[in-house]
Amino acid sequence: MTLARILVVDDEPQIQRFLKPALSAAGYDVVEAATGAEALKAVATLAPDLMVLDLGLPDMDGKEVITSLRGWSELPIVILSARDRESEKIAALDLGADDYVEKPFGIGELTARIRNALRRRSPHELQPPLIQADGLTIDTVHRLVSRGDEAIHLTPKEYDLLTLLARHAGRVVTHRTLLTSVWGPAHGEDLHYLRVFIGQLRQKIERDPTQPTIVRTEPGVGYRMLAEHD
Amino acid sequence: MAEDDRDNKLRPDPDALLALAKKDRRGKLTVFLGAAPGVGKTYAMLSRARRLKADGVDIVVGVVETHGRDETAGLLSGLEVLPRARVAHRGRMIEEFDLDAALARRPRIVLVDELAHSNPDGSRHPKRYQDIEELIDAGIDVWTALNIQHLESLADLVAQITGVTVRERVPDTVLKRADEVLLVDLPPSELIERLKEGKVYLPDNASRAADRFFRLGNLTALRELALRRTADRVDDQMVDYLKQNAIEGPWAAGERLIVCVGPDALSEKVVRVASRLASGLNAPWIVVSVERADREVETSERLQRIDALFRLAEELGADTRRIIGNDFVEEILKLARREHATQIVIGTKWRSGLARLVSRSLPHALARRAAGLGVYMVTPERAEERPKRQRRSPLNLSAVRLPVAIAVAFVAATSAIGKLIDLFIDLPNISLLFLLGVLGAAVTGGYLSAFLAALLSTIAYNFFFIDPLHTFTIAAPHEVFALLVFLAVAIVAGGFASRIREQAEVARIRATALQSLYDFSRKLSSTSKTDDAVWLAASQLQASLRRNVVLLLPENADLRMAVAWPPDTELDVTDVTAARWAQEKREPAGHGTGTLPNSRFEFRPLLGPHGALGVCGIEQTDEPLDINAERALNAILDQTAIALDRARLSEESVLQAARLEGERYREALLSSISHDLRTPLATITGAVTSLRQLGDRMSPESRDDLLQSIEEESGRMSRFVANLLDMTRIEAGTLKPKRDWIDVADAIHAAVERTRKHASGRTIETGIAADLPLIEGDSVLFGQVVFNLLDNAIKYGGSEPINIYARRDGQDVLISVTDLGKGIPTEDLERIFEKFYRRGKPDGRAPGTGLGLSIARGFVEAMGGRIHAESPAVRKKGTRIVMRFPAVDQEKVRKTS
Repeated sequence: MTLARILVVDDEPQIQRFLKPALSAAGYDVVEAATGAEALKAVATLAPDLMVLDLGLPDMDGKEVITSLRGWSELPIVILSARDRESEKIAALDLGADDYVEKPFGIGELTARIRNALRRRSPHELQPPLIQADGLTIDTVHRLVSRGDEAIHLTPKEYDLLTLLARHAGRVVTHRTLLTSVWGPAHGEDLHYLRVFIGQLRQKIERDPTQPTIVRTEPGVGYRMLAEHD
Repeated sequence: MAEDDRDNKLRPDPDALLALAKKDRRGKLTVFLGAAPGVGKTYAMLSRARRLKADGVDIVVGVVETHGRDETAGLLSGLEVLPRARVAHRGRMIEEFDLDAALARRPRIVLVDELAHSNPDGSRHPKRYQDIEELIDAGIDVWTALNIQHLESLADLVAQITGVTVRERVPDTVLKRADEVLLVDLPPSELIERLKEGKVYLPDNASRAADRFFRLGNLTALRELALRRTADRVDDQMVDYLKQNAIEGPWAAGERLIVCVGPDALSEKVVRVASRLASGLNAPWIVVSVERADREVETSERLQRIDALFRLAEELGADTRRIIGNDFVEEILKLARREHATQIVIGTKWRSGLARLVSRSLPHALARRAAGLGVYMVTPERAEERPKRQRRSPLNLSAVRLPVAIAVAFVAATSAIGKLIDLFIDLPNISLLFLLGVLGAAVTGGYLSAFLAALLSTIAYNFFFIDPLHTFTIAAPHEVFALLVFLAVAIVAGGFASRIREQAEVARIRATALQSLYDFSRKLSSTSKTDDAVWLAASQLQASLRRNVVLLLPENADLRMAVAWPPDTELDVTDVTAARWAQEKREPAGHGTGTLPNSRFEFRPLLGPHGALGVCGIEQTDEPLDINAERALNAILDQTAIALDRARLSEESVLQAARLEGERYREALLSSISHDLRTPLATITGAVTSLRQLGDRMSPESRDDLLQSIEEESGRMSRFVANLLDMTRIEAGTLKPKRDWIDVADAIHAAVERTRKHASGRTIETGIAADLPLIEGDSVLFGQVVFNLLDNAIKYGGSEPINIYARRDGQDVLISVTDLGKGIPTEDLERIFEKFYRRGKPDGRAPGTGLGLSIARGFVEAMGGRIHAESPAVRKKGTRIVMRFPAVDQEKVRKTS
């Protein structure tokens, strides 16, 4: 198996300075870019398998990089962002970034996100017939959800919500994505639907709905379902 | 357009709807109207109250006089009756309606009997109808009772019919504004029957009048008045209804009356007649008085009469206007045209036959020129009501003495001069000389002097110059004629001259008043502080009114005395309550108004666009303000209100700017902290976790590099935190530099060493003059400043070398740090010393913290030095930061050594 190639886009030399040895040690081939223009060029010439992108770049906004990239590439993108730039982070996710890590971050967190994002691209996991999470089984062929032997009855909307999260297991799914995929494009801002349906869903699928383990809340951003290997 | 008009007509009249909406927020007034005492108003009111009470409506009795009648008293049982307030009145304790208790109780409906009642002295309002208005304003419905004879506009009619003058009167507007009027009717014969049975209460002192009053004829007439009033109201309501619902109605197209009044006795009658006429025509009416522009010196008596008339007219529902002009008829017609009046009402005075011959009377002149207008003339009641020549007050000797003296002096002087001239030349027309004297007296002493001088001159001329001399007899008959002509000419010329003098005087007074007002407004406009504005206003008011004044400004939901003249003025409870009233209700209160007239002060609100900005209190004396003072007062109050509003706005905008500044500062601080702390933190966290989790898979070089980056980033963070702390110390003003002597060369070398540690590979050139004197200051702070400047130069200086020079310049030591980077645009040279200002991208991604230079300036200034930036520094490139510190006196240094 060849090493997955990761393009790290950050203009702070200090960040590059520790990411390169760390990611190399974690088993990736690391290439670097300090500006948006360099990053786009590197994607075209070096064919990386994933991009780690800092949103604040000297020459262009990180979001612009995502927008121009998504025109021609499905390259997985993990964003490095700051907590006070929440709206930027959500916008980036809605534009097509796959996940995010908040600064400051531990290397373990970043590598976990990188692994999940890389897995999305493996074709056999795009529509797995059976999804497992914390004792919960989702049979996407027969549209059945069960815990152990006990079948769990879900409404169609709840089921759609759950499978959407399950398909992106381990990765964050933004509010907007959930709302527009399940309820339709007109409902992108109707956050209260989610609050209600996620609540109902947790009542049915979680062992302890007050301390959910399967569907986790990413405050202000969206929800993330437990990945099988987590 | 025409289409539009039709549309508008079919739409509900917005004014009508607005009036309706305004009514909705207030309580509703229900008046039980009767023709005479004893018709059963109180009974009807209580019966109705009981029915509502039974339905669960929150209805209480505020005050009801049962006059000991059992049937009425019986109705009270089961109703909540508010306790009465005990008030001292002329040495007795009497029970009165407790307005505050009613307001505090806040029932839905309160019964307050006898609308026309007068409150005892010292009450908040002199009249009960004012209490009721306050209740309605507070949103409480009020039921009350009224006899028709108490209505202001009917006062003279009632007196005429019954021969009894009613003293307790209620303005017509109260009844007009009532939401509901219930007529309580009883045929006069039955009423007389009840009276005989003793069922009608009458106060002891009224029983004598009762016989005269309760006659069938009187009662029938009063009953008719009451019925007609009620019918008029119903008619008005129908018209209102039609207007509100946009029904094209048969309502009369706007009759409008202009009513001319003056200070004469007839005018009151004119007002009452006009009021009845207006209500009959359902027309708005304007009462107007015209004042002569050239006759400034209106007597205060005249003014008071006009004021009283205006008050009456306003109570009867009229608008009032004061117009200044010379041509009475022209002014009235101008107003009539402006207001689209249809009729003019004017009183026509009794005039003697001679006066009728000499000139046309005003009403007739008006009638002649009032094209298309109806002129309604009101005549005096009886012929003997002819205006008696107002008895002159006994001559005020001191006021007369001066003009007499002037006249005598001028005539004496003229005679003497005439005699003197006569000695040398035979002047044929010595009378001209006397005419000159008369004119002189007129200009100096006014009209009285002129008249007197004319008479005296005639006598003197006759005595001294007409044969036979030194007698009052005249020999030649043509001399008699000449003398008469002289007298006439003297009087007319003197009159004109004195009038010119009067007008000049008036003009002077006006100019002075205007000048003073102008000065005031100029002074006001140059102040933007509230305290200055009120102080100016108070001194201006005091100067132009010659009264004591206070100005109160709102503060924490109450009023604070901002300024007072004299400064030790104290306000008692009544005054303060009146002031609050004026502030809250935005209307005058206190002395001379309907609210708390017991106060020494009249309080007027200073009205700005968003409510009362404060209250001005003017201490009142027995003499009311004359019209000039009133005008000055209004102008000053208006100006003050504008100034206060402006002051408020400017104070607010200063606060706003400070808030904005604070906000920007916080934002910059946040973004700086988040960036400058987060990057090193992210590096440290990332490096540490990498080492822990992946360290065994790394090469020793990589591990070493990660450890080094941790060390460097920690240093960076610690510098940033130190900078923040320094900044906080400067900001908090706790920075107390030691006053030590600094060896500049030494300090610079140390700082350069320190800089090289974290910026290896950069060239720093130093050039320090050999004879550099010591400077005074704190060597630690100075070292930090130099370090910050070098650090800054490295960040922005590209890869070019950095220079630091120090030399002597007169009594100062100059230290400069120069880089050869891009430089700074001239307009930003000052801004680089601001906190969090960084050259680079606005998102704060330049390498610096934005604090270094700002700290440097803080430290330098705390040590008594100065710092500035220059750019470009060398060959159109780079930046030079120059510091200048005063050198320590060499004498001192020598003494120490």
